[in-house]
Amino acid sequence: MKLDTSTDPQVGFRPAGSLDIVTALDRYEGPFSTRQAAHVLRRAGFGGTAADVEALRALGAEGAIDRLLHPSDPDIEFAAYPDPKLLGDPKTRNDAAENWWLDRMLRTRHPLFEKMTLFWHGHFATSLRKAPANLMVAQIDLLRGRALGNFGSLLLAVSKDPAMLVWLDNRYNNKSHPNENYAREVMELFALGLGNYTEDDVKNAARAFTGWTLDASLNFLYKPAAHDDGPKTFLGRTGNFTGEDIIATIVEQPIHQRFICRKLLEFFVYSDPEPELVEALAQKYALCGADIGQTVGTLLRSNVFFSARAYRAIPKSPVEFTIGLLRFMGVASVPPDTIGWLRRMGQEPMAPPSVKGWDGGPTWINTATLLTRFNYVNRIVKSAPPQAVPSTAASATMAPAMMTAAAAAQAAVFPTLTPSEIVRRAGGLDADRVLATIEGIAVQDDLTSDVRSQLRDYLQSTGATVPVPFGPENYEEKIRGALALTLNLPSNQLN
Amino acid sequence: MPNRRSFLSQSLGIAVLGGTIPSFLASPALAQPLPALGASVDPDNVLLVIQMGGGNDGLNTVVPYSDDAYHRVRPTIAIAPAGVLRIDERIGLNPVMAPLDDLFKDGRLAIVQGVGYPNPNRSHFEATQIWETASPLNPVSYGWLGRYLDRIAGAPHGALEAGDIFRAVTLGDTVPTALIAEHVDVPAIGALGTFGYNTGKDAASKSAAATLYDGAKPGQSPYLSLIETTARNAMHGGDLLKEKIASINSTGIYPNDGFSQQLRLAARIVRARMGTRIIFVSIGSFDTHAGQRAQQDRLLGYLSAGLYAFYADLEANGMQNNVLAMTFSEFGRRVTQNASNGTDHGTAMPMFMLGGNVRGGVYGTHPSLTDLDNGDLRWGIDFRSVYATVLERWLGQDPSSVLSGRYDSIAFV
Repeated sequence: MKLDTSTDPQVGFRPAGSLDIVTALDRYEGPFSTRQAAHVLRRAGFGGTAADVEALRALGAEGAIDRLLHPSDPDIEFAAYPDPKLLGDPKTRNDAAENWWLDRMLRTRHPLFEKMTLFWHGHFATSLRKAPANLMVAQIDLLRGRALGNFGSLLLAVSKDPAMLVWLDNRYNNKSHPNENYAREVMELFALGLGNYTEDDVKNAARAFTGWTLDASLNFLYKPAAHDDGPKTFLGRTGNFTGEDIIATIVEQPIHQRFICRKLLEFFVYSDPEPELVEALAQKYALCGADIGQTVGTLLRSNVFFSARAYRAIPKSPVEFTIGLLRFMGVASVPPDTIGWLRRMGQEPMAPPSVKGWDGGPTWINTATLLTRFNYVNRIVKSAPPQAVPSTAASATMAPAMMTAAAAAQAAVFPTLTPSEIVRRAGGLDADRVLATIEGIAVQDDLTSDVRSQLRDYLQSTGATVPVPFGPENYEEKIRGALALTLNLPSNQLN
Repeated sequence: MPNRRSFLSQSLGIAVLGGTIPSFLASPALAQPLPALGASVDPDNVLLVIQMGGGNDGLNTVVPYSDDAYHRVRPTIAIAPAGVLRIDERIGLNPVMAPLDDLFKDGRLAIVQGVGYPNPNRSHFEATQIWETASPLNPVSYGWLGRYLDRIAGAPHGALEAGDIFRAVTLGDTVPTALIAEHVDVPAIGALGTFGYNTGKDAASKSAAATLYDGAKPGQSPYLSLIETTARNAMHGGDLLKEKIASINSTGIYPNDGFSQQLRLAARIVRARMGTRIIFVSIGSFDTHAGQRAQQDRLLGYLSAGLYAFYADLEANGMQNNVLAMTFSEFGRRVTQNASNGTDHGTAMPMFMLGGNVRGGVYGTHPSLTDLDNGDLRWGIDFRSVYATVLERWLGQDPSSVLSGRYDSIAFV
């Protein structure tokens, strides 16, 4: 049995250089500067403001990763559910569900849990194009609740999850007409990979899952009359297997350990990981009893995670890119048009293109998706509240409590990382210091000296709309322009 | 009845199997011998590839309406003979496909039946890879059209002239495997309005952005050069596309669904004569495990009406002979319906070929519904024969330079 990686588009995008397998998963003891802290926050979360990165850096590597894995403070209070009125209307329910989740990604104080929820969503890719939006919301909650727990119990819970029963049709799987859809995908996509089971295994597993269906209110229902309780042969064993038996058998397969660990490595470390690295992590995974939290902890603390080869080595997914930008810019509320942008970038959350989820890696990058990323950056960075609202003298005198809820909601979609804030950080209206500040906080100085001098040229350039060099008359437009250009550099496309 | 071998060995190209020969096909004007191999192929020829994602059920597309077995194994989802748009006394088109039926009657549509390959794969993803790479046995890195593009490009990655950016385009947000090439970056055009770098009135920022990527150097991660090349094409391509097709307005009315709107843009790109050889579009959700009729009928309706509008647009502008449209799907579906009024993953299915230069008619035999392979249809024509035909007779490329192995051509073009 071996992993079939033939359909993984990330194959071929392994970073240059060689792996020191002996120490790869050992605990990293090296420096933990702003760059390492930003690396951790991008991979184990969705990035953040310069202050967020600094707070993480102050904890040291060990403290930072402990904080992400075992947050001591409670998360902020989120609405348990999107607005029922919006969720009940066919016109608004999909956007309501997606925005509810994007908002959690943007504001959570426990970003690793939300990041793993996104990982599992890509893994168990279910879509509200087929499963009702309210069931999708419940599935995302299920994934979050078990995001860093035991894989076997996660897989069993997902197998009985109503959205999944709708998505892969197991609700219709009964002994007189077995439906093989779920039985096939649970092995191919969720746990084993192609080539590690036979067509007969699919047929027999499908028989074992018969009777797992939904009641009239779309809750899980086991219908004994529809279940085929006859003997089945599955992955070399014979018995009167139930669906639970099938899941347990699947998770015991050694190939499963490699399958899931390879996927974790591609998500957290780099594309196309070496088979020996997969094997080493698979051993850790087996040793801790398929505990995802411990396995992810091992990875995040490891030398290979902090190695130069892993640094900015994975293209950001559109959701990572978008939420990362909003967090960095200090936007408090997801702008409502973001879903449309995400769709054009190729990743509408809760709407994966197929059961396989998103291919990721190089497939995120094409002319259309890249232009969409650039233009989303341009749109967010250059958005500012209308001059009449909070920044005018009149509203500045207004007590915050006097701001109406509607005005507050409106203000929340604008960046708090304003040109004035950047000038304050730079310690004055000096082109070089402003540029150094932007480059430091936006891309941790990951740019070449050529690019740096081009950015400087831009800042100092004059044109029809901006007839004078960088200075008090034009610093707002110029700083926004330079920030957008910096965020559109290749390094910011990479996690 | 002639079998596939005798059909392919006929020296006369036209061959209509498994039924009567429609009268228009019997006319001498259409029954011409195929041009000699490698004979002059119009360099402006465009191939429009239409992916029907999810696995389209062939039996409810080209319906064997007079076959008792069809009605027996599909008690709730079979299409009643009365509604079928009859092609002959055995088969006909799904009733929602009247616009395509019109094009068939005009001799502009070819139906290639029973297309498949040995040891068919029933996984969406592997089967899609197989169709898009034309390599069922060995996984390969590049798509079949990507390999074709590599052959005709000759230039290394990123060194294309601006005018070559649109040699092949995909209309949508992702580049399909079929168009993944070693040396050519194929632009994905989601929509015309969003295809460009927008900085509002800050023109300096736009020109600075173009410079940043023009001066970019290959970095450490293998992803960096991909991002840099793609960004350069994106910066230049956005403006170029708008400039080229700005003056081209669609003729006729296209339906409002997303697929038809893709075709509308495709026709504008064809008419702009930008050197485009390949356009890839897709229509999804044919994975009808449950409630098949409503879902598939809706999609086939979009396909049919959209293609009709597309063809009419080209015809009104005298370019219907420059385009060959070809459909494919990763697999057909099981012969017997399942308990949820749907069908599970199966094997062989029909492909449609549409264009002014298409030799309309039916090619290949309709697969038997009783002589099955493990409950599935047996294929009669290897899909690589269809590809080989398109490469050789439409794109003027030696098929053996793109496909491994030799495949017989079919006379549809």
